[in-house]
Amino acid sequence: MSRAPDRIDRRIALALGLVAFVVLWATEKAVGFVRDESVYFAAAEQFARWWALLFHQPSAALSDRVITQAFDFNHEHPMLMKSAFGLSNALFAQTLHWVRPATGFRLPAFAVAATIPALLHLWGSSLWGRRVGLFAALSFFVVPRQFFHAHLACFDMPVAAMWLGVVYLFWRAEEDLRLAPWTGLAFGLALATKHNAFFLPVVLAPFGVLATWRAGGPEARKLLLRMGQVAVAAAVYAALLLVVLGREGLVRTWAVLSPQTFGVLALVAALAALAWQIARTDRAAFVPLAPLVAMGLLGPVVFYVHWPWVWYHPVDRLAWYFDFHATHVHYAWTYFGEVLRAPPFPLTYVFIVTALTLPVSLLVPMTVGLVRTWLRNLGDLLPALARRFGRGGSTEWLLGVNALFSIVLISFPDVPHFGGVKHWLPSMPFLALLGAREVDRAVAALPGALGLPERRVNALAVGLGALLLLPGLTATAHVHPYGTSAYGELAGGIPGAASLGLQRQYWSNNVTGVLPWINANARPGERVWLHEVNGLSFRDYQRNGMLRVDVVPAGGPEDADLAAVQYHQEFREQEVLVWQAFGTAVPLTGLYLDETPQVIVYRRPTRR
Amino acid sequence: MVGSAFLRDRARIRAAIPAGVFALVALFGLGFQLHLPRAFPSDADYQAAVAAIAAEQAPGDVVLLHPWWTERARLFLPAPIPVVGYLGDTADDLVAHPRIWVLANEHLPYVPDADFRAHFLPDRTPLGTPRQFGPLTLTAYRNGRARTVRFSAVDALASAEVSVESPGSAAVPCPRTGDGFACRAGRMEPAWHEVLYQPVRCLFLLPPGGPPRIAVRFPDVPTGTLLLEAGITWEHAWKHDRSDVQLVLGSPTGILHLRLPQAHEGFVAGDAPMPTSGPVTLTVQADDPHEREVCIRLRVLGDPP
Repeated sequence: MSRAPDRIDRRIALALGLVAFVVLWATEKAVGFVRDESVYFAAAEQFARWWALLFHQPSAALSDRVITQAFDFNHEHPMLMKSAFGLSNALFAQTLHWVRPATGFRLPAFAVAATIPALLHLWGSSLWGRRVGLFAALSFFVVPRQFFHAHLACFDMPVAAMWLGVVYLFWRAEEDLRLAPWTGLAFGLALATKHNAFFLPVVLAPFGVLATWRAGGPEARKLLLRMGQVAVAAAVYAALLLVVLGREGLVRTWAVLSPQTFGVLALVAALAALAWQIARTDRAAFVPLAPLVAMGLLGPVVFYVHWPWVWYHPVDRLAWYFDFHATHVHYAWTYFGEVLRAPPFPLTYVFIVTALTLPVSLLVPMTVGLVRTWLRNLGDLLPALARRFGRGGSTEWLLGVNALFSIVLISFPDVPHFGGVKHWLPSMPFLALLGAREVDRAVAALPGALGLPERRVNALAVGLGALLLLPGLTATAHVHPYGTSAYGELAGGIPGAASLGLQRQYWSNNVTGVLPWINANARPGERVWLHEVNGLSFRDYQRNGMLRVDVVPAGGPEDADLAAVQYHQEFREQEVLVWQAFGTAVPLTGLYLDETPQVIVYRRPTRR
Repeated sequence: MVGSAFLRDRARIRAAIPAGVFALVALFGLGFQLHLPRAFPSDADYQAAVAAIAAEQAPGDVVLLHPWWTERARLFLPAPIPVVGYLGDTADDLVAHPRIWVLANEHLPYVPDADFRAHFLPDRTPLGTPRQFGPLTLTAYRNGRARTVRFSAVDALASAEVSVESPGSAAVPCPRTGDGFACRAGRMEPAWHEVLYQPVRCLFLLPPGGPPRIAVRFPDVPTGTLLLEAGITWEHAWKHDRSDVQLVLGSPTGILHLRLPQAHEGFVAGDAPMPTSGPVTLTVQADDPHEREVCIRLRVLGDPP
């Protein structure tokens, strides 16, 4: 069976993507600016100015000094998405005035997020039929937290989309050589989106190597083994350099002519030459290897070329970049009444939080689908399981591994655990696919079970599918735009999660719930402290018409006349300091989601 | 014939089970969402409950929220009535409050009733029958753990003298600044702070650091039981690489020594008899004062009211 979708499914996928884009755009205005987002807005504007300079004065723009000046801000993340945000804002908001500034920044995020339902449909329909593709696509955005994250000009949803796109293209390219370069390009774009993508080769290499081994003749296998030997030799060489030079010395002494450069070039040249030999001697073996080769060659090139900040100082700055993410700080996070501040974090945290935040009507099919996939995968190794559940095969393994990889990665007790579900979003599209297959299996069995004609199966699918999507849809609509506060039925919803002692919210965007009150009640020029809202976000609320421009940001309660405190267990002191500064513990208003305090507003009784 | 029909029916039922389970789960989800809003009190429910409290309010009353996080009630409760609602509040003795109004919402999911029974109910006796205001239940309890508070350091700071004592040299008095005292190194003031999620109005104190210690002397403390509680404020409490804080309470009958160790969250408490009234001096010292901001409650408790 061909892995390519047919024309109708391509059109359905396109329609799904367009609908997702429109829905995200239509529901964007209410979504507050999360703490990081306003930083990305500022960075994006700065990058857009550099692009303009590049257009008008290329020689000035390309100097080390100007590049450093333009790209030093927020160099914690690569700049593909930030560049897209900045260019979109410059065109649609600043030049054409079609949209407000925030929407201008966010449009590329909607476009990238909208590829997820499209890709899910393409993949699901190719694998198991149109019903599966449709359900997977529709189910992805009726998860409140996923719907929320898709609105943000950040990188968590884009990298989930990129991850899905790379894996899908890899899967397609394993039978269609023409898609290999696209896989490499997509991998480069994923690297340029967020650092999660550096794990993609770890996930995909075993599949490509194993498929090549299976498809190859003796000569190709010999060459493949030699590639392995080259990789091992390169690892030994790198380890030797590390021992001799030390971590800092390795970075400090890396020059154009250095053992380090020699090692990298030798590795790339040797692997490329061996891959070329496989391509010449055994084309069937090369096809499944080609996407990996393309990823290895194009990925780093795209990553390097897209990011001017690393052009002149690739070693130092990339070392800093990797070091920053490898040693990221741990933010406090509330979990069952305990504020987690430092590792080791509970091993089951990610699984539990996933279960508590998904609508239960999607969680159950996903869980059944994941379990079935792994039983079938293990059936490849254990005949007893194969007899009962069938065998997996490479696609089933690919889906199963990707559905779990990000979840398991973040589960490591030393990995930072803040940020709700956003750090393991790349797993969620794969879980949506596996869940959709379970729903379809259940539907397909119904006509026989109910004695109905087979032609009724689509009607049954619509009925059951709608029933399963409805709780998620209503929950998403109910909690929007406060997605970071969303909890599913297993948690008892938002109030149940509060009683269980789970994180109430994060990232500060819920402040939008009290901005209308502040706009209506703040005195002219009043000093307002929006707790957890950084200065850039304060400015963005004002310039997007969400906060009156005459109110002034205060640095803390002692400096403020109005204070909006965000409820975080780790920030209780902040609210108490408001009581102290204002001389009252009685709030005036607040954002209470399903009774849970989220943002509480106090006013100083008399003006100083 | 019958057997094969039975087997066929069994097979059909088995085939329908996955779809049936999925449908039931979806109905559960929908049912939950439809049912949940019934657990939310209206503004009128809160206003009625508050009116009932106000009608019978007496000095020393306190309102305890159950579950602890249902703080929307604060919008409706007038300022004079203290409201207690923090993670762990069921274990609070609330010694200054002979009567506790528990404003509970039992209709919310996962209400921590077991915790309430285990930590709140002992020594508390319901006064009258619970009253219902929508989903809210209002019950007054006599607080068997209440004591007469004869002295509270935070309220008596106006009469105190504060100084910094260094080994081998004379004490250096700290001048008053507003409600508190500012020393050359270190300071003390009455303030609201958080100790392990509990908002507390306390003596907020920054020790000077090194061997010197900050000393606060109350000239005339009444008889009873001296109760000293001290905790590090906010998130600094859990940190592992910080100095211990040493507290020494000198009274006419002797010395009470407390140590606030690093990484200890919450209050450390100790008590001592105060059989005769007289002066009491509390000294606080930390080798390194960095993030050793101490919240101190020093009270003299008498008999139950």
